[in-house]
Amino acid sequence: MNPAQFTVDSRLDGDTAVIYPKGYLNNLAGESLVAECGRYTGKGIRKIVLNFGGTGLINSIGISLLLQIIEDLRTIEGTVCFSNMSKFQVDTLDMLGLLKHLRIFPAESEALQYLGAGAV
Amino acid sequence: MSTELKRALYNISALADLGQEITAGGSNFQEKIQAVLYVITGTFLTNKGAILACNKDGQMHILAQRGFDQLDPGRAAEEIKALARNEPCLLPAAFGADAGVAIGAGILTPLWVRDEFAGMVLLGEKFTADPYTAEDFELLRIIAAQIAVALNNHSLFRDLSAQLDENRRLYEEMRRIYHDTLQAFAAAIDAKDAYTKHHSQRVAKYSVAIARELGWNDHDIEGIYVAGYLHDVGKLVISNDLLNKKKPFTPEEVDQIKTHSTLSHTIISKINFPWKDVGKMIRHHHERLDGSGYPDALTHEDLNDGVRILTLADAFDAMTSRRAYRDKMDIQDALSELKNCLDTQFDNRILLAFCRVLDKEIKGELPEPDILPHFDRDSDLSVIAALLEGIIRELSS
Ligand SMILES: [Fe+2]
Repeated sequence: MNPAQFTVDSRLDGDTAVIYPKGYLNNLAGESLVAECGRYTGKGIRKIVLNFGGTGLINSIGISLLLQIIEDLRTIEGTVCFSNMSKFQVDTLDMLGLLKHLRIFPAESEALQYLGAGAV
Repeated sequence: MSTELKRALYNISALADLGQEITAGGSNFQEKIQAVLYVITGTFLTNKGAILACNKDGQMHILAQRGFDQLDPGRAAEEIKALARNEPCLLPAAFGADAGVAIGAGILTPLWVRDEFAGMVLLGEKFTADPYTAEDFELLRIIAAQIAVALNNHSLFRDLSAQLDENRRLYEEMRRIYHDTLQAFAAAIDAKDAYTKHHSQRVAKYSVAIARELGWNDHDIEGIYVAGYLHDVGKLVISNDLLNKKKPFTPEEVDQIKTHSTLSHTIISKINFPWKDVGKMIRHHHERLDGSGYPDALTHEDLNDGVRILTLADAFDAMTSRRAYRDKMDIQDALSELKNCLDTQFDNRILLAFCRVLDKEIKGELPEPDILPHFDRDSDLSVIAALLEGIIRELSS
């Protein structure tokens, strides 16, 4: 797959949307990830899991897009969880001081379990 | 690796991202600025950011923004210009309130390139609620300088493009006026002589058709078109009675009529045409290859292709039009006459090109025929086509 070509897949698991960004989150194409989250929240979904298994590089543009998603979910009192992040990605978020603001899980199933366990 | 070092690396990579977005080819300016805004908001971890540009008339407008509910900086330009240039500054929540700017707490960096105010970068409070650090200020200073140059370049480019568009429009306008003037002139010439209505226009069109068939470029074709329109402009100076005389001309009258080509040349010599040889073509449109023409009795090598084309187009139209003193020839006879006068009067190559283009027009091979529309409706096209094929075969062998 060409990493320059960023795509987004998604599925609904009960009341939770699981979203799979694929490719590098480093340019304007990443806006489609924000749009995909918006598509679900627009339908009343308030729980989102972002599975980063298919995403390698995140740069400042990618961080900016993530912040926007988190903010959008906060506004509607929803929750977003991150899963399957690489060590590089977790390190980056840690260095930026963002870890304490994010819910990060090693596996998608753990994120789903957390959200199913009654998180708003 | 220490967190500080990692953070420094992240900042450096943010600068690289910024450079990449600013210099990216293929994307339009709006996309570039949008990407640049993402780089900045991602670097400083804020969900509120905006990049604004200042117009030449001093008005601020938003190029890209996110997170600001109301951002109407239009009236705050003067206040912002008073701040230190390219220096990020912390804004009190009330900044710009008087001018209707709802920025809230955050950072404003006025963008300047030399002495020109280019716009500003606005950042809101951080997502993490942490304060902006001294390092943040330093980084923002560097980023702002890059954005300022990008905005300035874009506005220079836009000015240039606008100037170019304006020049192009003026040029087109001038061309249109030019052509209108030509047509008015031609109408005046042709109106002098009841029998030569539309003669100038037809000569122009026939000349263009031949020149195009010979592979001339568009600029030179326009030149011969103009020459065709104006070749008889000197007739304006000759009396109507003489031009419309039905009885044969006396030798003195012939001499007087012959002055029209030099008169044409004198009249148009005052005009500085953008095309070469317009004057020459007009002055010599009655010259002949054997030197028996006028006004300068030039021969072969002194007569360029433009002159040769115009001469043939003029003669063909004269023959196929009715005159005060004679009826018109039909097309076949006129073609035969042109052929009979090869070498003495007309050039083989030019007649060949004329026959070829006329042949194509008759066969419907040209989308916009220049010659055929001027023929009588009862012209026998199959006979003409057969004659043309004969001439083409003979001249191309
Ligand atoms: Fe003439």
